[in-house]
Amino acid sequence: MNLSYRVYYVFFRNLISYKRFVVPTFLVSLIEPLFYLITFGIGMGAYMGYFGGKPYLYFLVPGVLVSSVMLSSTFECLYGTFVKMVHEKLYDSLIATPVSAEDAIAGDIAWASFRGLVSGTLMIIVAVFMGILPVSLISLLLLLLLMIFVGILFASLAMIVTSFAPSFDFFNYYTELIITPMLFFSGVFFPLDRFPAWMKTLSWFMPLTHAVKISRAVFSGTYDPELIFSFLIIFVLEAIAFFIGLKLMKRRLIK
Amino acid sequence: MNTIITAKDLTKKYGQFTAVDAISFDITEGECFGFLGPNGAGKTSTIKMIHCVSPVTSGTLIVNGTPAHIDNRAIKMMTGVIPQEITLDIDLTVYENLMVFANFFDIKRKEAKKRIADLLKFVELEQKRKTKINELSTGMKRRLLVARSLLNHPKLIVADEPTTGLDPQARHLIWQRLRQLKTQGVTLILTTQYMEEAQQLCDRIVVMNGGKILKEGVPAKLVADEIGKEVIEIRIPKEEDEKLVAELSSFSCGHERVGDTLYFYCRDRHDLMKKLVELNLDNYLNRPASLEDVFLKLTGRSLIE
Repeated sequence: MNLSYRVYYVFFRNLISYKRFVVPTFLVSLIEPLFYLITFGIGMGAYMGYFGGKPYLYFLVPGVLVSSVMLSSTFECLYGTFVKMVHEKLYDSLIATPVSAEDAIAGDIAWASFRGLVSGTLMIIVAVFMGILPVSLISLLLLLLLMIFVGILFASLAMIVTSFAPSFDFFNYYTELIITPMLFFSGVFFPLDRFPAWMKTLSWFMPLTHAVKISRAVFSGTYDPELIFSFLIIFVLEAIAFFIGLKLMKRRLIK
Repeated sequence: MNTIITAKDLTKKYGQFTAVDAISFDITEGECFGFLGPNGAGKTSTIKMIHCVSPVTSGTLIVNGTPAHIDNRAIKMMTGVIPQEITLDIDLTVYENLMVFANFFDIKRKEAKKRIADLLKFVELEQKRKTKINELSTGMKRRLLVARSLLNHPKLIVADEPTTGLDPQARHLIWQRLRQLKTQGVTLILTTQYMEEAQQLCDRIVVMNGGKILKEGVPAKLVADEIGKEVIEIRIPKEEDEKLVAELSSFSCGHERVGDTLYFYCRDRHDLMKKLVELNLDNYLNRPASLEDVFLKLTGRSLIE
């Protein structure tokens, strides 16, 4: 592992290039949560009544929040990184400078996590306008930290996929077979209580389930000792995915 | 003069394929050293090991006193790379490309601004500061690559076919700039398929083929030793070769038949030319021997895929 402070330089490069895409990506980041909140939150929520004494939107917002972080950071490290690596050959010129391959990849993971943070934050802003607020300022700050944390996890997982993707089409397997099911089986839109046992077991293996649990607890300020367990699962998976992602990408970049 | 690069039995393998096969060479500080060879000769693999983006499979490679290694940041810090492919950052403008790159070398913002202004002038791109990469011509892109490679004030410049795809104007401008750098004491490593480029720039060259070094030397001397002074090309049907070669056997010239042409390599052409005039052949050409003849002689005239 040859990581250094130069990770920041790579992050900075992405930030500069982002200037040109800010408007379209903000629009996408805003429209997507609005779509979920309106269709599920208001449309379906009307039939759902109250969840634990609060309107359905209070249940939905923290779940959609982390899933939008998941989607943004995943797509950034799939398509964004792939374009930079294969089409623009950006990494080739990067690794000829004192920036190491590990710096470059970690910089992209940090960047993807930042993109997740931006999406999630936009989502909170939309929710606030709809009158759905986190319980306190501290809970808001904790949510921001959680978004960065979850972003790094999904960025690292996506990096592993990118490390052996022959082309764009390959990403469909990952998004359709892993990411989309995760969106529906992780308790984002409805509680997992009434799932059959095997489905519960399945969802337990999905990192998003644990992220949603933590997000919901932080949002409402009702903590449960079980959360430590969820946190540890994400943390361990994240550490493993990060190092494997770096290793595999390095192997692809350096021949 | 100090040696800046020493390679001994340097080998590069990709899986089972040997791209560079136990080559040895020395490069002296301040010289321009050229790697010549057809596609797939192992030139790019060799220089990638020198500037530490590709690991050495076996053998030793010492650059500026330290072993070349993928994580050797010190070598990368003092090296400027002009890549074969245009690897500019297309999401950024000309200025941003250089600024971001300056960052990678830990150059402070104020200093970077100064260097960028100087370099844009050096490659005649001052007017294009705010232009996006896609709006530049190939020549401009290549010049920007030259500017980018100089941001860190390199001691060593590695240029991998730096003028591929350029028009003569742009090519000559890049040559001038590279020669200018050499006068400032920079060591230059060049790979090229253009013999003129090698003759224009290089103090010493090696000719590579199939991962091996076939010949090493000073370009003019290589031409004299391998080919001689003059080349005479005669376009006659193959059947007449034997007769003609017999007639000309008294002259100390080497000959070679390639495709539709019979080549004679001579040290002194006068008598041979006289004879040719006597024979009343009309389809011949006399020209000075060049590096291209050496190249073709060493690497073979058949197409290399």
